[in-house]
Amino acid sequence: MDDSAKQVLRKIIRRIPSNKLQNILSKWEHLSKKQFRSLEFTQAKWLLCDNLLSLCEENDLSMKHVTELEMIYRIENPAQGSWNVCQLIDPSEEAVTVDSLTFKDSFKAHLKHLISHVSVKMKKHEDNAIWIRIAWGDNFTQPNHLNPTYVVHHLQTPYVFVSGLTAKHKPFLHQALIPSTHYGGLKDVHLSGRCLTALRDLLMRQYKQAFPVKHPRLLQEKSPVPSHPNIETEHAKHTEKRLQMAAEAFGEGILPKLETAVYKLETRFRENGMPGRREEPFRGVVKFSSSNLLESLKNCVSSGMASAPVTPLLSSITQKGRNYFVITDKGPGVSHTQGRKI
Amino acid sequence: MEDARECLGEGVLKHLNVLEVEALALSGRQQLCLQQQSRVDDLRIMVEKLRAHRDMLKARAKTNMSLQHLKAVADQRNVDCNEDDINAGGSSRTAQSQLSFLVARRTQVKDLLQAHHFIGGYDVTETGRGKGVYISIATAFEGLYLETYNLELDLGHVVQICRHNIPPFIPLEKLAQVHLQTDLMDFLSALSDHLNAFAGRRQQVCLIQEVLLGSVEVMESNVLFNTIVLMCKDAGENGRAILCTLEYSDLSRYLPTKVTIESEDQDLPSTPWWKESQSLLLCTPAHKAFQALKMKGLIA
Amino acid sequence: MSLKPFNKLPELNTANVLLVENEERFQKKLADAIVLLENNVNVIVRLARSLPLPLENAESRPRIDLVVFIVHLNSEQSLLSAETSLKHLDSGYFLGKVCFLVTGARCGTLPYERLTSLKKMAATLNSPLLMTEDKTAEGVNTAAQRVLAVLRVAAGLVPMATGLYLSSLTRCTVPNDPDWQNQD
Repeated sequence: MDDSAKQVLRKIIRRIPSNKLQNILSKWEHLSKKQFRSLEFTQAKWLLCDNLLSLCEENDLSMKHVTELEMIYRIENPAQGSWNVCQLIDPSEEAVTVDSLTFKDSFKAHLKHLISHVSVKMKKHEDNAIWIRIAWGDNFTQPNHLNPTYVVHHLQTPYVFVSGLTAKHKPFLHQALIPSTHYGGLKDVHLSGRCLTALRDLLMRQYKQAFPVKHPRLLQEKSPVPSHPNIETEHAKHTEKRLQMAAEAFGEGILPKLETAVYKLETRFRENGMPGRREEPFRGVVKFSSSNLLESLKNCVSSGMASAPVTPLLSSITQKGRNYFVITDKGPGVSHTQGRKI
Repeated sequence: MEDARECLGEGVLKHLNVLEVEALALSGRQQLCLQQQSRVDDLRIMVEKLRAHRDMLKARAKTNMSLQHLKAVADQRNVDCNEDDINAGGSSRTAQSQLSFLVARRTQVKDLLQAHHFIGGYDVTETGRGKGVYISIATAFEGLYLETYNLELDLGHVVQICRHNIPPFIPLEKLAQVHLQTDLMDFLSALSDHLNAFAGRRQQVCLIQEVLLGSVEVMESNVLFNTIVLMCKDAGENGRAILCTLEYSDLSRYLPTKVTIESEDQDLPSTPWWKESQSLLLCTPAHKAFQALKMKGLIA
Repeated sequence: MSLKPFNKLPELNTANVLLVENEERFQKKLADAIVLLENNVNVIVRLARSLPLPLENAESRPRIDLVVFIVHLNSEQSLLSAETSLKHLDSGYFLGKVCFLVTGARCGTLPYERLTSLKKMAATLNSPLLMTEDKTAEGVNTAAQRVLAVLRVAAGLVPMATGLYLSSLTRCTVPNDPDWQNQD
């Protein structure tokens, strides 16, 4: 075990909270049962780490095994760092038949072909997601295991979730992903957040959406029974409608956890409806942030704080699956860029 | 009285206040009692209502049963009647005509339902603004209803999909490009085929895991369930492992298009038994095929 | 269609109060407190977000004896909504059948003008303005007691007192402001 592996192991152990350490290490199958039992998890972390290091020396473990540990931890706790989503476009015929083994081989081969010093590790998670950990190096340096990039991809779906990717390495990843998945290109879908499962649920439409049905549920099921027979609400029907609208725009039950939504405005000053004399555009950014943005927006609508029907600007977060929008003027001669339809 | 005098010493208003608070508390308790009583009464009425409803349903079920019974008898008699004299008693005739009327009604309703299914059988709801429709597509496999998927279509001058909960691995965009502008029914039936096939494939894998637990193991599958690798054991003494790969290249079908059987024993896939089972797997759902193989004693 | 105070017959021993609050935060708590507090009279509380009230309930709605506008000083929307709602009220109500309930007046960071404009509004309409506390149970109870006291009079359940008489005593006083003096 060389120094860099030791350093990485120390860093990983430091990052894992003490209460999770035992569970994670038990899933790491490179310690014998006896060795695992000899570890005392009530000890201080640095002491435990020293013990662990000596055990690793004993078993002659290398960087490969250490990165495996980090991967286990990251898969168990995906809500770390920010995840960005890319979408693969123009699928070819073979895209639906790629299996995980050929994908793994092909991806590794493509990436190694592009850049010489790179360490790639892949693991198939239970829910058929393929986790890829990439430690980048360049032509003269060894792969840097301290800041790896994580990529999560579900085969047969067009979405790729990326975390910790620098602009420098972006083209390499794209060039390796596109041929190995048999797609024609890769584009950013402008969706990011900390919670990986939320992003996945939002894009794969696994959260519960509300659709109007022919036979609506009984009123009783939805709205709570009035607490006292002498209290009557005048706007019960309106409230009902508002709740339905909020559910239709943002979903029902537990909503995917997004933290932010950013709206960038690029427009010209106008005088009496005509574009102003000033040439430079007026730029503004509106950023909504919350610990659970969709839940807050839904609450705004259902409590009547925001007027219903929901503006398409807000409802397109769920409908289009993105949380970064650029709003530009649409009129001819006003904007140089094509206005994005929202 | 003593209390009162003490209180009076402090002031009449204070005393009145105390009295009021006491009265309030007392009446509060009284009201609570009354409320409980009225709730009990309400519940009792509810019970009565439900009982009546139950009796009604029971009666209806009974008449239905007797109707079916009568129908069976009538069918029997019809056969007899053809041979016998057509003139029967007046009273039985009115009963018969009533019965045949009911039977005719029933077949009509049945036909309507069937027709609804033939023309698509989608549940369509108009949205509030009348500009779009919601369509729900139910999926089923072997008579069991599975998920229902929904679509919201915007019926402007171009038909657009605004909102849906169809998983991303279903080629919705491709289908929309081909059919959506020209023929909505074609689009819906193609989509429904894809969804039903997907649900069917998934259900087959679930059933294999459930019914054939211990004998057939699902080694690999993917989100689309279009490549499924199954492992089972030969029933022979040495119990050689057999890998069976089912490939579904036609995504709108729940039957595989290609079945590959591999084993440690090179000759095994070419034996007539396994040739036969290979073709069986191509035309029957996987869980049924494997059950049949197990019955035959081909796999452990 | 504006809400009229006398177009329906009163019911025996019954008082109806309408709580109007745009946020629907406080009215539920207040309504619960009101119905629990009163037991000699059948008090019926109706909750609304704003006026005008929906037409479909017009038939079943009894005669409203008192309209209470709940205004949260920490939201401008609350005040604006109350202002627009007032337009849909028949002038007969302003003879002692309207009162304002203000919450959050204790908070120092709120713009003072909001309270002033509310006070002016209440004063011009000859209606009482009650300051309440919506955060504590005690505050809600006190508010309920006060509303009930006004309601009893407005519904004609207190002998020798009328809503008009009460409101002439309790109506919001003119703020001591030079601006206001000029207007007067």
